[in-house]
Amino acid sequence: MTGRRTSPSLASAEDPIVFVVDDDSSVRESLSSLFRSVGLRVEAFGSAHEFLQCKLPNVPSCLILDIRLPRLSGLDFQAELAKADIQIPVIFMTGHGDIPMTVRAMKAGAVDFLTKPFRDQDMLDAVTAAIERDRNSRDEAKVLSNLHELFATLTPRERQVMALVTTGLMNKQIAAEIGLAEITVKIHRGHIMRKMGAKSLPDLVRMAELLEIGPPSGQPQT
Amino acid sequence: MMREPTIKSWRSAEQWLLGSMALALGVVAGIWLLLGPTPMAAPHFAALALLIAALAASLILMGRVGRTRRQMEAMLQGRMSAEARATETLRNSEAQWKEVFEHNPVMYFMVDATGTVLSVNTFGAAQLGYSVSELLGKSVLRVFPAEEQRAAQSNVAVCLENIGQPHNWEICKVRKDGSALWVRENAKAVRRLDGRLIVLIACEDITERKQAENALRQSEMYLAEAQRLSRTGSFGWRIASGEVIWSEETFRMFGYDKAPSIKHATIFQRVHPDDRARVEQTIDRASRDGKDFAHGYRLLMPDGSVKHVHATARAVMGASGEVEFVGAVTDVTARKRAEMELHEAQATLAHVTRVTALGELAASIAHEVNQPLAAVVTNAAACRRWLDRKPPDLKEARGTLESIIKDGNRAGEVIQRVRALVNKAPDQKAVLNINDVINEVISLVQHELLNHRISLRLELSPALPLAVADRVQLQQVILNLVVNGIEAMQPVMDRPRELVIRTCQDDLGQIMVTVKDCGVGLAAENADRLFDAFFTTKSGGMGMGLSICRSIVGAHGGRLSASGNSGPGATFHFTLPLDQEGTP
Ligand SMILES: Nc1ncnc2c1ncn2[C@@H]1O[C@H](COP(=O)(O)OP(=O)(O)O)[C@@H](O)[C@H]1O
Ligand SMILES: [Mg+2]
Repeated sequence: MTGRRTSPSLASAEDPIVFVVDDDSSVRESLSSLFRSVGLRVEAFGSAHEFLQCKLPNVPSCLILDIRLPRLSGLDFQAELAKADIQIPVIFMTGHGDIPMTVRAMKAGAVDFLTKPFRDQDMLDAVTAAIERDRNSRDEAKVLSNLHELFATLTPRERQVMALVTTGLMNKQIAAEIGLAEITVKIHRGHIMRKMGAKSLPDLVRMAELLEIGPPSGQPQT
Repeated sequence: MMREPTIKSWRSAEQWLLGSMALALGVVAGIWLLLGPTPMAAPHFAALALLIAALAASLILMGRVGRTRRQMEAMLQGRMSAEARATETLRNSEAQWKEVFEHNPVMYFMVDATGTVLSVNTFGAAQLGYSVSELLGKSVLRVFPAEEQRAAQSNVAVCLENIGQPHNWEICKVRKDGSALWVRENAKAVRRLDGRLIVLIACEDITERKQAENALRQSEMYLAEAQRLSRTGSFGWRIASGEVIWSEETFRMFGYDKAPSIKHATIFQRVHPDDRARVEQTIDRASRDGKDFAHGYRLLMPDGSVKHVHATARAVMGASGEVEFVGAVTDVTARKRAEMELHEAQATLAHVTRVTALGELAASIAHEVNQPLAAVVTNAAACRRWLDRKPPDLKEARGTLESIIKDGNRAGEVIQRVRALVNKAPDQKAVLNINDVINEVISLVQHELLNHRISLRLELSPALPLAVADRVQLQQVILNLVVNGIEAMQPVMDRPRELVIRTCQDDLGQIMVTVKDCGVGLAAENADRLFDAFFTTKSGGMGMGLSICRSIVGAHGGRLSASGNSGPGATFHFTLPLDQEGTP
């Protein structure tokens, strides 16, 4: 049984979405109703397998998972997602006496867990937090991929200069370091700032940090 | 013998007397004539004449007498031969009677008032192993064993008190060789001509009859004793006359005094009021059909106690050509009570193991209640939020309420099932569908199966007939088999763990439930011990599960058995007879 529910059509494709996986249709349906009542998009599945079959949209989302699932347990499922590099915040629902499992789930990166029966507000708070977190990480990932694209437009010499600039070296020092005229370094620097879209040197330094570029050692100087 | 010579001698004596008288007169006259001729005078002549006349008269008289005597002799002769004939006849019949007396196959004794044997016939003496002379003049008591002597004496005394009146009795005598001889004696006392009182006794040998009688009495006694010991009475019932004949034990069982025959109405009085209609029905049917019957019922005794009896009767053709019933009725109260106590003990044990099993399943069961409870709480929260919306979404709110009702009921059912298993309810047989029972159990172990990564395959035949059974007990059987299956599959790592529960009808149409696992399987050496109480191969096992399952199934008239699979694992199956009317 899929017991699959989609959100009302008025929700835009960019709206966050909550995924629910529980083998118990009563629990599934009650959660769907709760999320829909606060205007959240929901998709519910009876098993991990069904969830994995579905193409995940690129929107902020979270997964609510029963820790005891038939066949593939919640924990194993979590591991499977990690293996498939599906980054989605997981909120576990547990019964009483599932403490060892809960500990394992938290260690494996679950964002939260709730004991059935839970307070609706606790569940909504957990979901809101998880979605926020997912939105952030998605934003970060987007920024990073943009930077990578910009960085790819730099010439090798420009990349070399950028690495040195972001460590805090002066133009003159850079010129000495790589054996160029100071003016040439200055020109490269201008290109780098323009191509990377950096407004200031600190801006460029932050970009370099995200791109994890820089010389093997050296003290950055302001 | 003496008569003939007497008559002959008498005749010759008379002749001699008369002859010698005549001779004497002649001699006297001659002498007188020779010696005294001198006084020859007239008186002498007169005397002589007289003498001669007397002689002549004598001679004439002699002639007369002789003639008369001859006539008399002839007469006597005739009489004598008649007498001789009579004597002869008498002698013959006497001999005959003597013969009869001596050899008649009846023992004759003649004893005096002190009991001394005056006479005994040869046969009588021989029967006792004695000769006649050995008994004559001896006390008759020597032919009686010590324990009968008093009776023998009193018998004689009775005869003596009522002279001339015949008496008879049966008594045991003892032969010379010590063996016993039963006789029937006819006796009476008579007074002899000489005034002595004697007792005449004729006895016939009744040993054979007595032995047969004794054998019969003995066998009757054995039978009565056996009936008492086995608490089984017998009865006969002639349908036509309605007459019922009971054995002693039957009377005792029903608490009635012995009587030659008894009526059904009297019997029904003792039958427990709750059973009376049924018993009357059985009797009615039997009297109509004339077919064998058997039934069990209770008796309500006058003291208020209740007996359980079981009667079986066979129809036979009586001597009169009418159908009669011959039967036995057994007091099964003790057995019933033992059965009840055993049942009680089994129920207690079953209850304990049930609660234990549920204890082991507690986590799973808690989950089964928790799931619907979680849904209820979440739905209620959602409902409030639907109502809080502006405007409130009543359709959604109503939807959540429906779910709340459904889930609330579901939680309640789980709790009820658990409670039923925990309760120590008495047997409650009812018509039920075995598939329902299986589904109820599954709802309790669902999560146990999940925890053990066991997939369950249900193959429940939809067209099963109903069974009459105790729901809780059957749940316990299935629960035990499923839990055993789960435990048997625990060590299995290299293949999918699958439990199959199947229902179907076997060749006889009986309901059959099969629980099959792919676990460790049954070790051949344990095969016949599996169902023993306390047999377990598990460190924490109690070993009561299968033993209780078997007794529960047995009590339902079915059978629980185990077999190995062609592949890995074990299969347990049990049958249940169909819902038939007349189940006791
Ligand atoms: N499905 C099964 N597969 C293999 N062995 C079984 C199975 N069911 C029962 N047995 C054997 O029968 C024994 C008795 O079972 P049971 O009477 O239920 O007691 P317990 O489960 O407490 O040991 C078990 O210990 C086990 O050795
Ligand atoms: Mg067991």
